[in-house]
Amino acid sequence: MRTLALVVGGVAASGIAAVLAFGGPPTQAQQAKAAADSITAPVLTDTGALKGPRQPIFFRHDIHAGQFKLQCQYCHYSVAVSPEPGIPSLQTCMGCHLVVSGSDSGGKAEIKKLRQAWTDKKPVEWIRVHLIARHAHFPHQRHIKALGPNACTTCHGDVDRMPQVFKVNNVNNMGFCITCHIERKVTRDCSVCHY
Amino acid sequence: MSEVDRPSGMDRRKFLTVLGATGGGALALSGCSTSNVEKLVPYLVQSEDQIPGVATWYASTCTECEAGCGLHVRTREGRAVKLEGNPEHPVNQGKLCSRGQASLQGLYNPGRIKAPMARKPDGSFGEITWDDAIGRLAAKLGAAGGKMAVLSGAGPGTFSDFLAEWTAALGGKVTRWSPFDHEAIRAANRRVFGLDQLPAHDFSAAKYILSFGADFLDTWLSPTENQRGFAEAHGFSDGEVAKFVYAGPRRDLTGLNADEWLAVRPGTETALVLAIANAVATANGAPAALTGALAKYTPAAAAQETGVPADRIVRVAREFAAAKPSLAVAGGIGAQHAGAADLCAAVNLLNYVAGNIGQTVRFGAELASGDGFAGLDQLAAAMEGGQVAVLLVHDANPVYALPKAFGFADKLKKVPFKVSTSLFFDETAAQCDLLLPQHHALERWDDLAPRAGVRSLMQPVMEPVFDTRAAGDILLLAAKKAGGALAKFTDASWEARLRGRWQALATERKAGNADDFWRAALQHGGIFDEAPPPATVSLAASAGEVTYTKPTFEGNGSFVFLAYPHALLHDGRGANKPWLLENADPVTKITWHHWIELSPESARTLNVENGEILRLTSPHGSLEGPAYVHPGLHGEAVAMPLGFGHSEYGAFAKGRGANALDLLGAPKGDFVPYLSTRVTVEKTGAWKKLASVEGVPRQLGRGIAEAIPLAAARKGLSLEEYHLEERHGEAHEINPPREVEALKGWAEGQQRGATKGDYTRDLPHWGMAIDLARCTGCQACVTACYAENNIPTVGEQEILRGRELTWMRIERYWEGGDDAGAPPSARFVPMLCQHCANAPCEPVCPVYAAYHTADGLNGQVYNRCVGTRYCANNCPYKVRYFNWYKYNEMAWPEPLNLQLNPDVTVRARGVMEKCTFCIQRIRGAQNQARLEDRPIRDGEFTTACAQACPSDAIVFGNVRDPQSRVTAIKQDPRGYHVLEDVNTRPAVTYLAKVLHSVEA
Repeated sequence: MRTLALVVGGVAASGIAAVLAFGGPPTQAQQAKAAADSITAPVLTDTGALKGPRQPIFFRHDIHAGQFKLQCQYCHYSVAVSPEPGIPSLQTCMGCHLVVSGSDSGGKAEIKKLRQAWTDKKPVEWIRVHLIARHAHFPHQRHIKALGPNACTTCHGDVDRMPQVFKVNNVNNMGFCITCHIERKVTRDCSVCHY
Repeated sequence: MSEVDRPSGMDRRKFLTVLGATGGGALALSGCSTSNVEKLVPYLVQSEDQIPGVATWYASTCTECEAGCGLHVRTREGRAVKLEGNPEHPVNQGKLCSRGQASLQGLYNPGRIKAPMARKPDGSFGEITWDDAIGRLAAKLGAAGGKMAVLSGAGPGTFSDFLAEWTAALGGKVTRWSPFDHEAIRAANRRVFGLDQLPAHDFSAAKYILSFGADFLDTWLSPTENQRGFAEAHGFSDGEVAKFVYAGPRRDLTGLNADEWLAVRPGTETALVLAIANAVATANGAPAALTGALAKYTPAAAAQETGVPADRIVRVAREFAAAKPSLAVAGGIGAQHAGAADLCAAVNLLNYVAGNIGQTVRFGAELASGDGFAGLDQLAAAMEGGQVAVLLVHDANPVYALPKAFGFADKLKKVPFKVSTSLFFDETAAQCDLLLPQHHALERWDDLAPRAGVRSLMQPVMEPVFDTRAAGDILLLAAKKAGGALAKFTDASWEARLRGRWQALATERKAGNADDFWRAALQHGGIFDEAPPPATVSLAASAGEVTYTKPTFEGNGSFVFLAYPHALLHDGRGANKPWLLENADPVTKITWHHWIELSPESARTLNVENGEILRLTSPHGSLEGPAYVHPGLHGEAVAMPLGFGHSEYGAFAKGRGANALDLLGAPKGDFVPYLSTRVTVEKTGAWKKLASVEGVPRQLGRGIAEAIPLAAARKGLSLEEYHLEERHGEAHEINPPREVEALKGWAEGQQRGATKGDYTRDLPHWGMAIDLARCTGCQACVTACYAENNIPTVGEQEILRGRELTWMRIERYWEGGDDAGAPPSARFVPMLCQHCANAPCEPVCPVYAAYHTADGLNGQVYNRCVGTRYCANNCPYKVRYFNWYKYNEMAWPEPLNLQLNPDVTVRARGVMEKCTFCIQRIRGAQNQARLEDRPIRDGEFTTACAQACPSDAIVFGNVRDPQSRVTAIKQDPRGYHVLEDVNTRPAVTYLAKVLHSVEA
């Protein structure tokens, strides 16, 4: 199992306490996953202490992907066919949230924001968490093809346990890519990614 | 202010945000920092035909000239990023010229009018709303009382039909005009065959081509189509090469491709044509009436007039008569003198007596053309006479494109209310009162019928860049507002009207389901029927009246002034597109500015060298420009390209160079005689360095552009064998044994490196073959490379410092011409990174930025590059280019930045760059093949240059695949590597040009 040595220091350190509150850092989370496959996402009130950048809408991957087991590709629809994974359009969100309005007051408030955005025809401007420098090309589809449809966790960690997405691996560090490419005996040619 | 100091108008952040919407693409080398907060902005509703990160292609039609080529528009995330030819389209069959490709820079041009504007009382323009604008138009139309006129440059199609109907309803008339309307050809066809039309020309079938000043590779009729045909005929296949003889006072790109140049005195081609026709008629037994009429045109008389020796005329006539079918063409703009209609008529006779009519010259094709200058002249007279109260100018810029002496601008002032639908703030729009900017062709629904059997569609490939409207919608909205006679135009929108027309078309063609018909047409780019069989034509009664009259020129200067269309700027419409300005003129290799051509003899007499500023004075005006000595110019002429000297038309065009039309007089009759005045040439004493990208104009024995005589090529001799034969068997070792030994040792060292890691894998090896017998030097590949690879245009100042970044360039070398009287010929070589197996650039890179990839490319890793430039210094081909400044922030003023290809990194300052063999296309194809669990198929993808090449001279592929096309072509005995003796083992194989020997 890959260590977390690559997590960006500042973000990780400030977020540790909050992560512990709902099940420990991702290594532990992954172990927990093996033990119990179903989780119930915790009710969170203090979002400020969570890891990762605060998003305009508190979209909870742990509820959608963890508790309700939505497939990643339901929203990130182009990941298997394109270099880009695809960010769901607001229409995709509204497909459910036209009827689903949340179970607790926190959730209700966030879904209200989403519905407002839909009414106003103003897309939600998400804060980007994972970014690869623009001189490197990462074809998502090749990696999904090679590693399977659930391989997202390899780079992105257990997003299905994250109330707010944070960087588990620094995907912008070439060492992170290369380690894996060496392990799997696949190409290490510079020009495969840099062009 | 120099180009470098120009403050950047580009807001990169904005572009990143747009790009961020799909979280993709590569823009700038922003380092490895991710501390910047970046946003991911999702779609509200995901468009069904867009997948982020994957290109969506739309079929469309090019509107840059009258030819009407089909387009495939590559869009990414809702933006058009590249234009390619539509392979199904009968006109261009998948290929596209530079001007067509640069249409993209028209779409994103910073000089576009961003919203409707009206002239304020103080004379300046102010933006208004569309409601207001349409209201003003409607009010003026109502008040015009039938005194309205339209000047339109739109090609035939649903829009032009609608415009005519709409104008007729108002009691007005549409004049269809574009500057190069080929009026002389039509006049000649009326006279000789009684047909007012433009025929199609089949160059591919011709075994002998004679051009009398027709620049059929540059601007004449349908250049991309002509070029394809010409390459078929003139390329070496099955041991045959059609001979091409060019007769005219100036060798343009077309002329430089000729096997033989007949340097005729300006304006005297007709005498030559008639003499040849006479000989051919006699040889072929033409009707007595014709032979009788032609009898007086003897080679001796023609030699007297043209200055071409009589024996050469006799020989050419003999060769022309013997080759069947052959093809003679005339009607080029550069050779358009007052007697141009006679010239074209004489060429008609020549084609007739040679039996080419119905073979290589096909009437009934109904090539599009306008009403010509005569139509415009009528309109101008009406304007001057006060018979026009409202003038609508659509797709035309007569204020710029006509000689000033004609006074169109003054005549325009007599019109009380002028409306322009121009996309750009051009010279004509600047004089108008109301500007209603229409959509670019890539933003609107439209169709075009450029010839019989072709109905080509346009569709909006993206959201409009600015607040513009389709011209059809402008007319419909005005109709709704004005009512009255226009009330019958009740279509909901222009799109609805067009659909209605196509519905009718479906019914006409018994297509069954009209929706399916429409969708299929959209998908394929239109409906393309078989070309109609050539119409049978017969000589008209007036055919025998073709005569030669000695040309007369206005003024008494010592030189005849020859204004010719710039191969890239066309009539000037390309002058606002940086690709076309930076891409060198194929003949002179000059970028960004105008020049004045002198023949070598004149230059000697006047003691003028390249770059000296000359002043030309004609009876109608004078202008200045730097001299360029052109060995392909007749001594009696000075020449200058059209297309420069705009006083408006956006920041790129405005104030750049001088307009050659300023020296011409007011045209009369059917067409503008571009070759009609004499000029005096004075030296001003000033000097300007030419912004030329030409290095050394001669090969100096380096064997860069090789050629082999037809006889040797027929025997299947390799270049080496041919050279050996040429030296009568005397062996010539290029490298002495010591060098060979050293090179071998080095090569072995390189080979050892290839036994490790990825290099042992069974990967493809990418290679290219370039057939110089087909290449015409047109530079479509260069523009394609700029478009595909986000190459910044650096501007005139930087080019003067030798800092152009043209990954692919066409080198033009002069050959021969050492003997007096024998002008040099030209050879063209596309030069790009040779992807050497023993690459000199690689071992000198201290940071391994230049390295050899396992699939045979010379990789260039931008993020490793620290800019030592050792690699460029060590490259024998000089194909590596350095980013001296932040060209990435200067070259694309908003919204030009939207043209950037998101698959390719935009290089930052301090980075070396070069041709990558379009590695993004290779990787894209590999990704797709892997998804489908199959190997890459040959021809599944190709590089941008090979895709664009109208003569299909460039072939790219996997050389390890024995079945691939490139492998087969590389086997050709004509194959050679440039600078083979430095042992670089390039992946690019050139096939030597095949030369016709000039028989004595």
